[in-house]
Amino acid sequence: MKANYNKAVFYRLFIMHVILVLALIGGTKVSAFEALLTNERSGDVIHIDRSGSTTHVVPICNRPRGMVSGLIDSHVIIACSDDHKVIVYDRAAREIHSEISPVQGAMNVAVHKASGRLFVTNEGAARASVFDLSSSQLIAELPTGLEPDGIAITDDGKTLFVASENAGLVHVFDATTYAQEEVIKTNLRPRRIALFKSELWVSSEMGSRVEIFDIETRKKKDEVIFAPKGFRPEQMTPVDILFNDSTNEAYVALGSANHVAIVDATKRKITKYILVGRRAWGLGLSPDQKTLIVLNGLSDDFTLIDLKTKRPQLTKRAGLIPHSIKVFE
Amino acid sequence: MRLSIILFIAVTSLMNHSIAANLHLAIVTASNAETPGRGRSFAGILTRVERPVRRAVELALFESKTSFEAFGIVPELQVIDMDATKPLDEQLKAIRSTALTILDLPRPEFIEAAKILDQKGQTIVNVRHPDTDLRDTLCLPSLFHTIPSERMYFDALGQFLIYRGWRKVLIVHGPTEKDKVRTKILEQSLKKFGADISDLREFTLSHHPDDRDKNKPEFLTGGASYDVVAVIDSARDFGRYIQFSTRRARPVVGDVGLTPVGWHRALERYGAPQLNERYQLFDEDKPLSASEAMSDQEFAAWSAVKLITNSLGTVDSIAETVNPRDILAHPGAQVDLYKGTRGSIRKWNNQLRQPILLATGDAVVAVAPMPKFLHPKHYVDTLGLDEPESRCNLR
Repeated sequence: MKANYNKAVFYRLFIMHVILVLALIGGTKVSAFEALLTNERSGDVIHIDRSGSTTHVVPICNRPRGMVSGLIDSHVIIACSDDHKVIVYDRAAREIHSEISPVQGAMNVAVHKASGRLFVTNEGAARASVFDLSSSQLIAELPTGLEPDGIAITDDGKTLFVASENAGLVHVFDATTYAQEEVIKTNLRPRRIALFKSELWVSSEMGSRVEIFDIETRKKKDEVIFAPKGFRPEQMTPVDILFNDSTNEAYVALGSANHVAIVDATKRKITKYILVGRRAWGLGLSPDQKTLIVLNGLSDDFTLIDLKTKRPQLTKRAGLIPHSIKVFE
Repeated sequence: MRLSIILFIAVTSLMNHSIAANLHLAIVTASNAETPGRGRSFAGILTRVERPVRRAVELALFESKTSFEAFGIVPELQVIDMDATKPLDEQLKAIRSTALTILDLPRPEFIEAAKILDQKGQTIVNVRHPDTDLRDTLCLPSLFHTIPSERMYFDALGQFLIYRGWRKVLIVHGPTEKDKVRTKILEQSLKKFGADISDLREFTLSHHPDDRDKNKPEFLTGGASYDVVAVIDSARDFGRYIQFSTRRARPVVGDVGLTPVGWHRALERYGAPQLNERYQLFDEDKPLSASEAMSDQEFAAWSAVKLITNSLGTVDSIAETVNPRDILAHPGAQVDLYKGTRGSIRKWNNQLRQPILLATGDAVVAVAPMPKFLHPKHYVDTLGLDEPESRCNLR
């Protein structure tokens, strides 16, 4: 009788272990990646791996903020706001490759690879500037509203969008002639711009929503207002927007609300709110599109979210005031 | 009466509107008015910055330039300096009936002028007086308040004290009528959030030995048990000497020490550093030093203009002249206050709802509403007179 009981217990334990081991193998079956984080206050870039461990801390400049991939795979372009310059960082060599200076109040950056151009918002100067990356020469300066932040260039390199936080406007420029084409009125404090198929998504930080415009007609198509249960809408302060092409989802970091929202990009429906750290701004997606990384600017950490279960996996220490993230294979 | 009209250069490309509309703004001041005790102590020592609000209004117009272009609007600012020797109502006729009028006058003249303009249905903004009664018993439908009320300031302080667990409060107040009125409001705020008032003590400026219980901070704050001392001293006079001289080693809050304010130069978040820098530098002819920031009154004037320019999209069609009243009456009227949440108008008493900062000279220690102070409708409405308590019901 007792032997039978022990046998049964052993059998159950064995099965449990098999499941656990299988789960662990399954859990690690996610491809490796390297991510770079800019930290505004500690003035460095940190390299992290798939497990969220910091592999390198590289002091870089004063107040590094916006970051984008450069023309070659190992190059990353970073806006150094307080140094009024933009640097090209070599992530393989972990050193600064070159720099473009002066770039007054450089805040956010976008690159059009085919034409080798860099687009920068100049926060204090109420303009955006365009540079030729191979020669580091200034090509154009475009007047915007006050406090320009988000900047995006269409894939064909023909249209540039710049959001001005203070003005509540998105300026649209012809990116070949650099003439202003149009001014789109937005809700309060437009922050980031993301292009998705034929749509322009703009986060309105003080308007607690994302507004969706048609890229061609520039007319407003729709909006997604954030109001998780237990919160007042005015506490929602969305900033970064990131799309996942494989699932047709948009991720929106809700700032002071300490959550990230998952939005069905076609139905415009919020499917999930996930609790992260304080002042969630920067967003990154792993190359296999299975992990979302959220930077928490006020708790100086970042959260890895498993997109299958839509649950946070772990939160790890970043530098001081993490701002932007870029993920590489 | 000196009347100057500043026409802002309208470099408008008028992209979306073929016809230009006017937006009229007016500042009514009394630059020569005697305002005893206003930020000035004995022997001319300045204890508080009191500046005219015009620079802040001009900053708001400067910031709105691209919005004006996008909406096809030409702003015009009228500045009217009142002459105390001439009748008020005659001078008020110089204000355009369609103007958003910032009425920056001493309290008696303010009330008189507000009543006259309200009768005519002109839109008036109070940027100077936090006096709670102006929102509660005066209650004029055309009068809007962008400066926080005393109740908002003291509610913020009350929440902070409870949040920190400093429940026992010793109140030390000045002898003036204004001090007594404000002390009553502080008591209401402390009671609202469940603090205990250990005692109420009145100070005197007299140095006479017979008055030592009232003029020596050590005695004034002795013989009581308390977690914190709250000082009400509208003139910023004696109160300055209480901190570091209390009988018990306790923090000092209120008009000195940790103070509730509408705006501060050391606010690091919500884009505030950009606004502060712009305030210092936007006027190239008259730059200010990096230590200068908008006073609460200036911030209120800036907020009033920005409330209009941030909400231009609420009115479908803009006629020849923008009616600021239409915008303020719209439920969608809102303003980006650089304080972490948008500002809007409380319909029952025309008060601009906004967070309140709790600050020392060089740091913003907290931003109220404090965590866990919840409101069923709007989370900032835990600060100030809420609809059920308000005697003013303009809705």
